Amino acid sequence: MDWPKWTGVPLAEVSLLMPSRLAKILALSTILVTAGCAPSQGNDDDGDSSAIPSKIVIGSTLPLTGSESKTGGRFKQGYDLAIEQENADGGVDLGGKKVPVELNLLDDTTDQAKAVNLAQRLITQDKVNFFLGTYSTALVEAQSTVAEQNKIPYVNGGGAATSIYAKGFQWVFGTLAPVENLANTEMEWIDQQQAAGKLPKPARVALIWENTSHGKDFRKGIQDFTRAHGTNYQVVTDESFALDGKDFSAILSKVRAAKPDLFMVDAHLPDFITMQRQYLSSNMCTKVLTYGARGSEADARTALGQDGVSYVLSAVWWNKQLGNTGLNKAFVDSFKAKYGTDPEWYQAQGYEAARALLTSIAKAGSVDKSKVRDQLAGLDIESILPGGRLSFPAANGGQADYPFVVQQNLPDGTSPIVYPADVATGQGVAPNPNCKG
Amino acid sequence: MREVFTLAVSAVLLAGFYAAMAYGLGLIYGVLRIVNLAHGGIIMAAAYLTWQLFERFGVDPYIAIPVALVVFFALGAGIYLGLVRFLPRGPAGAVQSLLLLFGVWLIIRNVAYLLFTGNEQAIHTSYATRSVTVFGSSFSVTRILVFAIAVVALLLLHLLLTRTYLGKAIRAVAQNPDSCTLAGIDVERVRIFTFGLGTALAGLAGVLASTLFAFNPSFGAAELLKSFVIIVLGGLGSIVGIALGACVLAFAEVFSIYVVPPYLTSAVGFVLLVVVLVLRPGGLFGQRVLR
Amino acid sequence: MKRQAGGFVLALAVLWVAPLVLPIGDYTHNIIGLTFMFAATALAWNWLGGYVGQISFGHAAMFGVGGFVAARLIIAFGLPTGVAWVVGGLTAGAYALVWGHPTLRLRGPYFSIATIGVGEASRLIATYWSGFTGGSSGLSLPLSGGPTKYQLYWYGLYLLAAAVVISYWLRTSRIGLALLAIKEDVEAAGDVGVSATRYQNLVLFLSGTMVGVCGGFYASYQAFIDPQDMFSFDRSISLILMAVIGGIGTILGPVLGAVVLVIIQEFLLASYSDYYLGLYGTLLVLIILFEPLGLAGLLARLKPLRSTP
Repeated sequence: MDWPKWTGVPLAEVSLLMPSRLAKILALSTILVTAGCAPSQGNDDDGDSSAIPSKIVIGSTLPLTGSESKTGGRFKQGYDLAIEQENADGGVDLGGKKVPVELNLLDDTTDQAKAVNLAQRLITQDKVNFFLGTYSTALVEAQSTVAEQNKIPYVNGGGAATSIYAKGFQWVFGTLAPVENLANTEMEWIDQQQAAGKLPKPARVALIWENTSHGKDFRKGIQDFTRAHGTNYQVVTDESFALDGKDFSAILSKVRAAKPDLFMVDAHLPDFITMQRQYLSSNMCTKVLTYGARGSEADARTALGQDGVSYVLSAVWWNKQLGNTGLNKAFVDSFKAKYGTDPEWYQAQGYEAARALLTSIAKAGSVDKSKVRDQLAGLDIESILPGGRLSFPAANGGQADYPFVVQQNLPDGTSPIVYPADVATGQGVAPNPNCKG
Repeated sequence: MREVFTLAVSAVLLAGFYAAMAYGLGLIYGVLRIVNLAHGGIIMAAAYLTWQLFERFGVDPYIAIPVALVVFFALGAGIYLGLVRFLPRGPAGAVQSLLLLFGVWLIIRNVAYLLFTGNEQAIHTSYATRSVTVFGSSFSVTRILVFAIAVVALLLLHLLLTRTYLGKAIRAVAQNPDSCTLAGIDVERVRIFTFGLGTALAGLAGVLASTLFAFNPSFGAAELLKSFVIIVLGGLGSIVGIALGACVLAFAEVFSIYVVPPYLTSAVGFVLLVVVLVLRPGGLFGQRVLR
Repeated sequence: MKRQAGGFVLALAVLWVAPLVLPIGDYTHNIIGLTFMFAATALAWNWLGGYVGQISFGHAAMFGVGGFVAARLIIAFGLPTGVAWVVGGLTAGAYALVWGHPTLRLRGPYFSIATIGVGEASRLIATYWSGFTGGSSGLSLPLSGGPTKYQLYWYGLYLLAAAVVISYWLRTSRIGLALLAIKEDVEAAGDVGVSATRYQNLVLFLSGTMVGVCGGFYASYQAFIDPQDMFSFDRSISLILMAVIGGIGTILGPVLGAVVLVIIQEFLLASYSDYYLGLYGTLLVLIILFEPLGLAGLLARLKPLRSTP
């Protein structure tokens, strides 16, 4: 092989490097490492945080390209709208002076490592004042650590898993209610249908979850519910899949063999579309079909056709049918005026996360990070989210907590809220009428 | 029993696609002794080409096959003439070509990122979600079409290699390039053609893959690996070898759901690869040449 | 020889003192610390790839094993950071031997292909085994107790120093000669009594251990690791790129390669992140075609020019 022979060290000098000397060098470096002989933090200047700055810079990353690009773009709409509204009357009021807000948003390309590196750069180099989180649990889980390390208020509308908030972090706040609630709310609707005799008893459950904290919470929610309801439900398959999977045929073969009545999946938008396509093309049909929070998106309808998404059940963190009054109306109207389309829950969450942060800055009257953190911790404001209030209870580690709404896609293209009854805008259908026999 | 039947037919359908996917890699290795690490990149690029033709001009993915064959034949010949030609032959060249073609893969990936961003794409034909029921088991229409096309393509290739002068020249070069020169075969032209043909086959696999899976610029890595597995399993030998290798992999993957969690299905191939390489040191390919 | 050793010690001293006397920003300071670690991994890859000529596409497996074992030890037992890294590293080295012992009989492309399989299988299994690795949601390390990110700069420097010393030792000792013989011709090496198996296993073990220790460093540095990232194919690739672009088989090369890669990455990170793969690919192609010794080779060519008065 005439692969490179240049060694960097002439071989003639082999004998000069005596083993004993080498041992000394090695021993020395080992001692240095184990003794932790490293200078401690030299400079710890936070700048003069009490002075009123000329602008407030909020750092953020979102998946603007990559597998979650569509959702990332929607969160951006929410962030932009909230900040535009804030700046419309001069900005945030800091002790009598209006200070404009600037969003320094970078594209993390749906990549965990990049979400972390960009956050590090925004926080330690660009010295942004505050941080709005990225989208999807896996990325938020990685990124929130950077915020906590650097003690900067971090508000996100994209991380739902309880594990993010169970680490005792002091600087991380989330507007998404736990996924366990999501699973539980869906099961409550199913339970009603079962009680009404529309679904078999016991119902065979196929539980398919994304192998992330998000999916694990969903799984726990379903398991807790089925355990609490004894013999009414029987979990016949319990399998995980990788986030951003391309081929779900193996898992679907397993599901098909188990002959479930309820196909309970937790997936993100791209995986939902891919899996649903393969579900349809293998001619499967289950009495109830859900992908967790996904199903009612316009993108799914485009990709799968109306028939492809009919009767899919979903539970979401917000829906524009929640009420055409007050804050909700103002949000939907201004959203439509700016973007010309209806908002989905993604935009609503982005909007609420940004609004919670901006409100807290105004309440603190300062860009001092710990003052704003304290305000976030004690926040309790009127909100467009279900239940009408938004707070970050310390008992949940800074994760908001409110009920979900269950929707079902109908063949006419609508997705009415079918549960809970007090906000329902339509009647749910079970079992799935698409299935013959 | 019904279940086993369904899985077996699925495995056969999958094997057809796998065979088409692996053949390009095997052909190039057999004739040039070069592992084309850009194989996965070509598959990805072909998926994008198909998607563009479908989205922009409404060309059905299967109609796009001739276009893809021509485009990727030209690209492959270009890569050979522009890059691979300059590498030394023999073991040194083998390692260098690995890294060189790996560089080419990175470039192809980057071009795809620049043109189409990293967003996930899929081709939504009207029949994408249709299925056919045979003996009470349902099979996706696209998978059946992909299988049929793959089989036809492999048969045509077999005829090309066994019945034409060019094919005989390719096999001769694979066996002994030196005596070919003596026999008056233009070895260099055969190599150009082979690299082009191997790349075109990867392109075909890309077209077929685009109708089965969602893809993004990093698509193709798993396909490249599976192609290796197949070649290692079946030996480079012949259509039969490739088909056998593809069947072994497809059946192992499909039936693995009885043994391992579906999550680990794709690991089955990789483990198989390592085990076979270790049990048959020196690899299975290269021992039997095209016959 | 003396000049080289002197230069090495001087460079270490300068890098050790630099952050204390120069006004380097926190961000840059941290990135330099990370660069030391990358350089150490590239050197470790090079022991196998450059000295023995076995191109591994699966080194991320050891990086991941080292990182997760170290992280688990820190989380569960509160082990001192340095000790956790070393144990993680040794576990990674042992893991490397488990798959390496059988596969190292293969040579050239066969070995490379097998390592792709090993790397990808490790990634899938690690991601699935969420009890140990946390699955796709990863592991968070305690934010206090270990060295701060600021201090990790010096730890990174020690790692790099150790990697350089070992590289030097491997190259200049008897082992270096044996490795060269194996790389040139395995069978001939066997004829003169050089046991390819033993030497290759030794090098792979060292390489895996070093990369594993670096994985532990990375876990401490990020305070959060997840298997998709630690075990990713792209991570294996980056080791190859650093070593090959810098200069395969040399000592200076992988270090240079690491510096160049980090600079490119930092420069492109925010706004042009789409270009980096293509840039690496182009560099790789150019280097294979025109300068197989990479940047180090280029420097060596320039040297005579500089020394003439």
